[in-house]
Amino acid sequence: MRIRTVIMMGLVLITVAACSSSATTQPSGGPSAAAKAWNLTLIQGVAGDPFYVTMACGAQAEATKEGVNLNVTGGNKWDATVQKPVIDSVTAAHPDGVMVAPDDSKALLAPLKAMSDAGIKVTFVDTKLDDTSFAVSSIATDNLAGGTLAAKTLAQLVGDKGTVLVVNVDPGISTTDARVKGFTDEMKNHPNITVLDVQYTHDDPTAATTITTATLAAHPDLAGVFATNVQNAEGVATGLKQASNTTVKTIAFDAGPKQIEDLNNGIVQGLIAQDPYGIGVAGVQQTVLALNGGSTTATIQTQLAALTKDNVNDPTMQKYLYKASCS
Amino acid sequence: MADPLLQARGIVKSYGHVEALRGCDFEVYPNEIVALIGDNGAGKSTLIKILAGTEQADEGEILLEGHKIHVGSPFEAMRLGIETVYQDLALAPDLDGSANLYLGREVMMPGLLGKLGFLDNRAMRTGARKAFGELGVDLQNAQSAVANLSGGQRQSVAVARSVAWASKVVFLDEPTAALGVIQTARVLETVKRIRDRGVAAVLISHNMRQVLEVADRIEVLRLGRRVARFDGKGATIEQLVSAMTGGLAEEGAA
Amino acid sequence: MTGVQTSRTESIRRSIKARLKPVAERWGSFSRTRLGSVVARTFSTNAAWIFLLLVVLMFIFNFLAPGKFFTEFNVRSMAENVAVLLVIAVGETFVMATGGIDLSVGYVLLFSGVTSAQVMNWGGKDSTNSGWDVVLLGFVVAIGSGLAWGVLNGLVVAKAKVPALIATLGTLGMSWGLAEILSNGQDLRYLPKIIADMGASRVIFDKVPLVVIVAVLVAAMGGVILSLTKFGRYTLAIGSNQEAARRAGINVDRHLISVYAMSGTLAGLAGFMSLAIFTTTTISGHANDNLQAIAAVVIGGTSLMGGVATVAGTTIGVCIPMVLFSGFTILGYQSFWRDVAVGAVLILAVYTDQLRRRRRERR
Repeated sequence: MRIRTVIMMGLVLITVAACSSSATTQPSGGPSAAAKAWNLTLIQGVAGDPFYVTMACGAQAEATKEGVNLNVTGGNKWDATVQKPVIDSVTAAHPDGVMVAPDDSKALLAPLKAMSDAGIKVTFVDTKLDDTSFAVSSIATDNLAGGTLAAKTLAQLVGDKGTVLVVNVDPGISTTDARVKGFTDEMKNHPNITVLDVQYTHDDPTAATTITTATLAAHPDLAGVFATNVQNAEGVATGLKQASNTTVKTIAFDAGPKQIEDLNNGIVQGLIAQDPYGIGVAGVQQTVLALNGGSTTATIQTQLAALTKDNVNDPTMQKYLYKASCS
Repeated sequence: MADPLLQARGIVKSYGHVEALRGCDFEVYPNEIVALIGDNGAGKSTLIKILAGTEQADEGEILLEGHKIHVGSPFEAMRLGIETVYQDLALAPDLDGSANLYLGREVMMPGLLGKLGFLDNRAMRTGARKAFGELGVDLQNAQSAVANLSGGQRQSVAVARSVAWASKVVFLDEPTAALGVIQTARVLETVKRIRDRGVAAVLISHNMRQVLEVADRIEVLRLGRRVARFDGKGATIEQLVSAMTGGLAEEGAA
Repeated sequence: MTGVQTSRTESIRRSIKARLKPVAERWGSFSRTRLGSVVARTFSTNAAWIFLLLVVLMFIFNFLAPGKFFTEFNVRSMAENVAVLLVIAVGETFVMATGGIDLSVGYVLLFSGVTSAQVMNWGGKDSTNSGWDVVLLGFVVAIGSGLAWGVLNGLVVAKAKVPALIATLGTLGMSWGLAEILSNGQDLRYLPKIIADMGASRVIFDKVPLVVIVAVLVAAMGGVILSLTKFGRYTLAIGSNQEAARRAGINVDRHLISVYAMSGTLAGLAGFMSLAIFTTTTISGHANDNLQAIAAVVIGGTSLMGGVATVAGTTIGVCIPMVLFSGFTILGYQSFWRDVAVGAVLILAVYTDQLRRRRRERR
């Protein structure tokens, strides 16, 4: 026991000495020439989501093309309290530029501002903060237009009459809020369609399932559902299957592998696909541009497409299909 | 003979259909060690529980120094000066010897600190050293958790705790049941010292030899009643066993 | 093993032992002095061993990511990001010391934040420019909400004799549901600027975040109470042998209610701190706060069975998962590897505790 204690104490002293001697301030690395092999990090909104996986694929492809290094990371839940330590750790790792999809437009202002103050170029991809003053660029789908497109497509599918339900994620997420706004604003032009109160799922497919089955029970004449993201789309599809319902028309945002399958099987009737690949590419482009001293574009809006069974196999539509992995 | 210190008369106690005690009597006099023996199911543990306040009798009365008392809870028993060492010891295994000794009766720091709840650990450790020393209990590492002690040492700590606080009677329920020879001898030494301090001890044991070695008097229970009383010096094992199993006529020699 | 190999390892071992022997003897005589015995006892505790683990982890990450991991910025960030967890973990330490468990902490935290934010924004007004009186009111409401849930937990566990696991699972659901109802499922995003400033402020030469100071103070007080006061001793006694505590005259029911009330109150404080850090009520979060707190307490050496607990251990237990998280992220590993690492450390910690218990039961 005594010898063990001696060894233990020795180890402690050595490690304390080693740590304090190598504790330095952050390296001030400024580029001497333009077009250096920059280090970039992509902070996804949530890891594992096909939308963000596809974004990472696009970012990786562009990074390889431009000759820069890319690291991809993200929390395992869409949760600002989980993403904050990720953001802080990435700041500590001090890449040259970061593309980030913040989980909350207000709660993460402080850590992202700190990241920018540390000299890291910050680009918003997909979601953004309320305050974008310090960002290089904000790249997102025109979610408002996406919501409008969803409303038009759904109105067509339900024959321009009936009750429709909106299944959203959480208030305060810039992207989904815009989609809902676009949807409800457009629906004002369709007087024979009633839009029920928006329901929130916290990005939990099980909650979406429960909401769907409950709404069907309360409104047996439900004509259509608008699911604002992939998780919600999956939950709604499960809910309709559980209720053995084939009459409700569903429009979902995002075209992940499961959603494409559902589209082909007739469980979902329309998908509003974003271009996450394109967002990833643009994100890397803008960040590298800023690092090389060029002038960047403050806001970039990427395209959307409405996918139905009829056009899903068109070659022009392939880029809108999200992947579960890059290979 | 002087008046009994603690006396039980006609105690009746049933658990559902089972009659544990059917009009049981018991006495213990000051400054003596009395052994309470009987076969399994004779009612020894039940009687002890009632006298120590853990259980309440259905009928009968208890007298302490001639006055009728009602022992409603173990806490009341403690206040009356009655302590018990249970078979399962009732020690907190993660606490050390002094913490266990003073459990429920901690010494606080003087002044404001004490009012805020700060313990005077040094005073308690000193007191514990003294209490254990007087009873011949030797703990090499006084700050080690009681669970790290051997069975005999743990038993001794439990006995020492009861002795330290008891002013009248200490009940010991099978204190050496799980011990080896040397430890048993140590615990019995401690028990003898209880009597030497002016406190009466009631010992429940299955070990006849031990009983004859240590007890001043022996009371025998059978089927919920007292059936015999013996003097510690003259009795033989055969007599005790006979009384326990019903060989002798009721209430023989005194 | 052949005879030749045995003798070679033997001689190596013997030569190491011989060289360390004089050091060990010097240590031996030092440890018999008063100061020396205190140091020796500190190093034989479980807390010392996981502190060593923490130091080793930091050393490893510093080696793998020089100039990035062990920087002022990152150490400060890690401390800030564990501050809220440490506060609820201190409460959880006391609860687990009694042999119980409190699963409701995460959502009591959330509920307290919601009620606090709503009171501060009472009457539909935007509280951004409110003064200290409103902030104080919000603080009191947060603490009070936590206290109320804690007392409820205590009553159900002590009086209704419902097992703590089930009782606190129930209050987990109730507090979450009520928080959702009260907030209508929406984050409250307007809070007094004073609170946001407190969440961001730093003291002591502008280096230490205020929330870290608060957490450290809570831990210090908790540690003192647990190890030096009657309240702390009774907490451990009840966990060690509840029957013995009862027989010693301790009012076990009342004490249990106090302990759960303490845990709830600290969850309320943590809720207020979370409002300060995130400037919103973060309704979609806190799902795993309870498990993280329990993991920290267990990694810190507190026994699941109760009776053995230290706040120092919990403090280190809170740091280890965060160090792993930060280190793995800086090194660029996927988030899921982080979770694997923390899970492994947790199992290791419980296994070691079980070994210790089994060893002493054999005596």
